[in-house]
Amino acid sequence: MNRLLFAGAAAVALSTGMAQAEAHMPFTPGEGDFSWDSLEPLKGVDLSGQQLTVFGPWLGPDQAFVESVLAYFADATGADVRYTGSDSFEQQIVVDAEAGSAPNVAVFPQPGLASDMASRGFLTPLGDDTGEWVKENYAAGQSWVDLGTYKDKDGNDDLFGFFYKVDVKSLVWYVPENFEDAGYEVPESMEELKALTKQMVEDGETPWCIGLGSGGATGWPATDWVEDMMLRTQPPEVYDQWVSNEIPFDDPRVVEAIEEFGWFARNDDYVAGGAGAVASTDFRDSPKGLFSSPPQCYMHRQASFIPAFFPEGTMVGADADFFYFPAYEEKDLGKPVLGAGTLWAITDENDAAHALIDFLQTPLAHELWMAQSGFLTPHKGANTDTFADPTQKALNDVLLGATTFRFDGSDLMPGGVGAGSFWTGMVDYAGGKDAGEVATAIQNSWDALK
Amino acid sequence: MDNIAGTKSSLTWAVHLSVIILVGLWLFPTVGLLVSSFRTADQIATSGWWRAMFPAEQNLVLRTAAPAEQVQEGGLYVIEGNLFVEDGNPRPEATISVWGTSSRDVAAYEVGDTADMGEDGRITVAENGDYRLENDTEFEGRRGERVFVTAKTPPEFTLRNYQNVLFDPSNREGMAKAFFNTLTVTIPATIIPILVAAFAAYALAWMDFPGRALLIAAVVALLVVPLQLALIPLLKFHNEIGIGKGYLGAWMAHTGFGLPLAIYLLRNYMVGLPRDIIENAKVDGATDFQIFIKIILPLSFPALASFAIFQFLWTWNDLLVALVFLIDSTGETTVMTKQIVELLGTRGGNWEILATSAFVSIAVPLLVFFVMQKYLVRGLLAGSVK
Repeated sequence: MNRLLFAGAAAVALSTGMAQAEAHMPFTPGEGDFSWDSLEPLKGVDLSGQQLTVFGPWLGPDQAFVESVLAYFADATGADVRYTGSDSFEQQIVVDAEAGSAPNVAVFPQPGLASDMASRGFLTPLGDDTGEWVKENYAAGQSWVDLGTYKDKDGNDDLFGFFYKVDVKSLVWYVPENFEDAGYEVPESMEELKALTKQMVEDGETPWCIGLGSGGATGWPATDWVEDMMLRTQPPEVYDQWVSNEIPFDDPRVVEAIEEFGWFARNDDYVAGGAGAVASTDFRDSPKGLFSSPPQCYMHRQASFIPAFFPEGTMVGADADFFYFPAYEEKDLGKPVLGAGTLWAITDENDAAHALIDFLQTPLAHELWMAQSGFLTPHKGANTDTFADPTQKALNDVLLGATTFRFDGSDLMPGGVGAGSFWTGMVDYAGGKDAGEVATAIQNSWDALK
Repeated sequence: MDNIAGTKSSLTWAVHLSVIILVGLWLFPTVGLLVSSFRTADQIATSGWWRAMFPAEQNLVLRTAAPAEQVQEGGLYVIEGNLFVEDGNPRPEATISVWGTSSRDVAAYEVGDTADMGEDGRITVAENGDYRLENDTEFEGRRGERVFVTAKTPPEFTLRNYQNVLFDPSNREGMAKAFFNTLTVTIPATIIPILVAAFAAYALAWMDFPGRALLIAAVVALLVVPLQLALIPLLKFHNEIGIGKGYLGAWMAHTGFGLPLAIYLLRNYMVGLPRDIIENAKVDGATDFQIFIKIILPLSFPALASFAIFQFLWTWNDLLVALVFLIDSTGETTVMTKQIVELLGTRGGNWEILATSAFVSIAVPLLVFFVMQKYLVRGLLAGSVK
């Protein structure tokens, strides 16, 4: 009798536990195009009773997505995984690490800060195996290893960051039906894009919506423009030298890239609201001009996350679409792509933290988020059939089809420049200041940091 | 004769007028926030809240039903419906003035006109949004035609934001948890500093001991020290003595940061109490403790209450101290302010949620304020009027 009761209680406990897990796990294990097998090795790892805390920059829907991915890890290993997000991640992680109350795993939105934390001894190396794995399994693997490798406290290079979830930035968003109404074609080269811009002005339309406003980070969308222009006017080696300050910021080649951005943004006829509105328009409101009636603009250059700010009910792929921000045909620089990504690093070592990094290497971890929304990956083994819609897949193809991939330069520069004088300098430039002067001022601020 | 006490100044109207203007200025942003909290994100993005109260002329992009809905009438293929009906739900009545079928010319046709779109067929739009789309050949594709209308739409308000913040299953649990966590932080963080500060204030006001003036000067000096300076050292200290991140740490931090103002405010009030009573009590043989408990505390009630309101409001609205000393990466100890920030999303910008959350979180402080407001004014005047 007693045994029967016990078994009954266990069954109840088991079923409630399962019901709880299911609520956070949107896909039934074993079904669909997912690589469920890749989870098998982790099932052998028993982490029950271990708590794993993950701290990252994602909130709102993104938080729900990352939690759903982590739920599968928790389900396989038995670890108690907790994710918390914060909009002031950059400040909070420093405070917590300094004071010694860091989470187990931190998700850095940019490598600059991670490199800084590594050099102060707050991060745990991921080991050579992980580095080898990234090199083999990620498209342009070596560049992802380099981006995650920093000097530790003693000045030795080690791999500290594992990239998971990337954004593509070299994209232009437009409304296909507006193009159709006006008889415009999607441009294939920068020459065509500039010709199209002029054509639109001749037709009495406004081609671009550009907004640099972003509260305390105002100016960052312009840094993406300049980086994209840099990759389209100079070979990638020059881009690397620029990002590491081997060539000064006021080098004529950099100034030229800034002026290329100015060609679009500083012409009253080319931008909705006139050049004066560029710096004061919020980047989140800027794309809404595409959808107004009559359209305020026809094109908007922004990263792959921007559909989150399209008006409610917009169907990406039908109501709005994107094309690759093209390169100059005459310069023959291939198809450069600018991107960014989040890297996962261990800030307080335990077994579960290392197991989580192993989990992120499974194709399944990538597919689970791909099947939801807003996730791109350079993982070659992930099944692209799992993408929730064709647009996501097309976005990922831009990433996989790149001849050159470069990481967002402002994220790699020292914080005082990449998240400081570069931003403010671009606001000044959009406001009418001379490109050379702005570049010299940024270089001076960089020198002051050395 | 004008300045004799008891007669009304002829300038009363000016005083009243300026009071009304000041109150209006103060309330203006709050009213804007309140109106915004009843609007959708798209409405906030397209027009100011002051326009929300009146019917507005709007340019809308609407869509006819998809080709799948077409019926055959004789030799014609016809799609009929109303432009304002979305997913089966009618929108509030709107009246169309002009309309168009191309984004290049959104005011090409008057109501009742028929637009010829070549091989895409012919469309007629009526004032109330009813349309008739007909074609000689079958309609193809998956989506309906776009119709650009200029319409006068009545004001439209929604309770959806409040529903999202308070009752949405994905954050209802979090909100409720955060509400009780916030109370767990604020109530002790209000009571502890008052207890400590009342004793200290009495000592600084009525007990003679060497260095008293210096101590008072030190407390005043501490008023100007920004708390940001102490964040990392204090958290390190908490970690070292083993309390780490948690309620105890948050209470201690709030207590520490609130004490200088509390001591200063209470001491100034207690110093103003009549000396005769205290000396009489001493002559009658009362100890300092008895004087404090039986005479000073009851007399200082307005000052205590007003400081309590201050401290309560400040701990209720606090995010910084909570983030540093309380919220650890398990996410169990979240507070209201943190919960609201989370609702804003990774890249911010959900203004409708911000406005709504502001009103949700304002509710408790408002209640506290209205219950205790008579003490607030008396306490604010502490020491300044005799």
